[in-house]
Amino acid sequence: MPMFNWTIIGTWVAGFFTLSLFSFLYKDNPFYRFAEHVFAGLSAGYYIGLIYHSVILAQLVQPIEEHWAAAATGPDVGHHIMKVAFLLFAGFMGVLMFARFFPKVSWISRYPLAFVMGNTAGIELMSRLHGMVLPQMRATFVDLNASFGNVVLNLIILVGVLTTLIYFYFSKEHKGVLGVTARVGIWFIMIAFGAHFGYTVMARVSLLIGQVNFIFIDWLKIIS
Amino acid sequence: MKKAVPVAIAFLSGLAMILAFFLNPDKFGNIEEELLQWATIIAGFTLLLGVVSIVRVNWRSVKRFDKGWFNKAALLIALFATAIPSIIPTSWSPLFGRGDGSIYDWLFTYPNAQMQSTMFAMLAFYIASAAYRAFRARTTEATLLLITAIIVMLWRVPMGESLFASIYSGLPNLINTYVMGGVNVAVQRGIIIGGALGASATSLRVILGIERTYMGRN
Amino acid sequence: MNFWEKLGKLDRRLVYSMVAVTVIIPLFVPLNLPIDITPEARELYNSVEALPDSSVVLLTFDYYASTVAETEPMSIAVLNQLFRKNMKVITMTTIPLGGPTIAQNVMKMMAAKYGKKYGIDYVNLGYKANYTAVLKGMGVSIASIYPTDQNGTPLSQLPLMQHVKNYGDISYIFVVADNAILDYWISIVNAQYQIPIGAGTTAVMAPKYYSYVQSGQMTGLLGGMKGAAEYELLVHAKGKAVLGMNSQSMVHLLIIAFVILGNVALFTSRRKVHANV
Repeated sequence: MPMFNWTIIGTWVAGFFTLSLFSFLYKDNPFYRFAEHVFAGLSAGYYIGLIYHSVILAQLVQPIEEHWAAAATGPDVGHHIMKVAFLLFAGFMGVLMFARFFPKVSWISRYPLAFVMGNTAGIELMSRLHGMVLPQMRATFVDLNASFGNVVLNLIILVGVLTTLIYFYFSKEHKGVLGVTARVGIWFIMIAFGAHFGYTVMARVSLLIGQVNFIFIDWLKIIS
Repeated sequence: MKKAVPVAIAFLSGLAMILAFFLNPDKFGNIEEELLQWATIIAGFTLLLGVVSIVRVNWRSVKRFDKGWFNKAALLIALFATAIPSIIPTSWSPLFGRGDGSIYDWLFTYPNAQMQSTMFAMLAFYIASAAYRAFRARTTEATLLLITAIIVMLWRVPMGESLFASIYSGLPNLINTYVMGGVNVAVQRGIIIGGALGASATSLRVILGIERTYMGRN
Repeated sequence: MNFWEKLGKLDRRLVYSMVAVTVIIPLFVPLNLPIDITPEARELYNSVEALPDSSVVLLTFDYYASTVAETEPMSIAVLNQLFRKNMKVITMTTIPLGGPTIAQNVMKMMAAKYGKKYGIDYVNLGYKANYTAVLKGMGVSIASIYPTDQNGTPLSQLPLMQHVKNYGDISYIFVVADNAILDYWISIVNAQYQIPIGAGTTAVMAPKYYSYVQSGQMTGLLGGMKGAAEYELLVHAKGKAVLGMNSQSMVHLLIIAFVILGNVALFTSRRKVHANV
């Protein structure tokens, strides 16, 4: 029989830290600061375990071992040796990132960083244009063959998109026709931001409800 | 060497991804696969940079017994209490590693996850206080924002839905269709298009070596 | 200062206490008002329901522990549907802090409920860094990005992954997210590989994604705890989201009251200023 019920202990530890953090609403205090620091430490420690298992073991050590064993035994030796070389190179590039901590050689960390930045920029350039701009523009065209309700809706969308884009065009002063269009745009924007605010309130309140449920249902078990 | 080579690397890696988009995967698949694999491996090491910084800064404070050293020591203890058991092989004990029932799993599921949730739950109080103190109908635009916010806040909860439905049964649907699916879609789309064009321009600048802020100072 | 002006200057700790009490009371006195299902939630449900049984679905746990109150009920609700339909589920996460553990815990709970076997009915791929490269790379080969699953088992040893090499072998992607990763799923995966995508997001993100539903890039959308409650009702598995709507109603009314109170105080003080002038 286990000596301790770690689920109950965990729930009480979680409850203590939850109340410590909530105490900040009254005022800053030592319990809050302690909980905040423990939180930061736990989060940083989580990353170490994650990267060790997900990257170092799963993406480097294990595949290198497998390819090395395959190169020693089976056919296609060249392919497996190449894979080992590529993986060692990628690992080496990753380790180069730590050069940032040594001022004299910190410039070396630019190499792997530039690779990741270029790679990401290349993917983003194409995906943003192909996957966001074009489909969204396509969907803004008004289908005049649709029902009356849909035509009205599509016109609202078309006018809204154009006036919003014009409002955010600051290279020319908002006067005359541009000014009037931008004004219409700001009304659309205010309505949309009002809706966004309503949703944001909902989001924040939901998170509080989640924590209150934890306190009263999971921890103190006042409600079943 | 210090600037030219990274610029060239960024250009070549970006160009490779652009070519991969257009070229047949049969011709380009293996190169694309390899480069993407490298990108995930290198990015993984990047995540550890912040952890190393945290350890260095806090260890220095604890060694010198600076103000707040006790909390910083607690930070370091929590960090190593999570990290060390997770990197010890599970074969030694089920408490090690990352699996179900491990110390790593327990420390995340109970203290860490609940503290994350609590940090964000506190925002509910702040937003209520902000709505009370700052949300004022001083101008026409602010009034428009305020009225829409109130309508949406009511519409998104069962009590408000019932209230609207009692006025006119199709009212909740009209709000969804014309406010969320009409005006909101229009504005969000304008922002998406503008943002996507901006992001594309920035990506192009990185690939062409015009944008070099990621390299830091000399 | 008159009565209304005083009401407009309440101490913040009193405001906080009122919010706390308004959240707690409905736990003891539930209202249980009917919850309307939005067309976006219904379309999402129908698009998943229309998939043939035993299809392979990719379910993402792209959310932090900070937003589990909104997002975890969505994951649980959709898993009720997927496992009921005997779908094969592959899970992954792009969230480094806690995503893998959350996915592990939820999948373990739901697999036990439906008697599903790991490696045959579901696989947890876990986390890999650099989400743009991950999303793009899975289109070429899942095994190149994830040589092993979350537990370190090579994908070649998992029966489910014998038939799933890349997006071409996946019928649907259900993204549950609390950040802008959904933009990348849409722009990289849906746009380039034409895999249908549906999503549940936090209420903060939801207004933005109505655009993608309208453009047809997403088959449906769940927004926040209300969206999760709608899906729980659709799959006939009421959970924490439906329970939470009681408190949600009361707090929204309280915040509206605060806004009105603040503005009444503003108008009264303005009238006083004009009268004095």
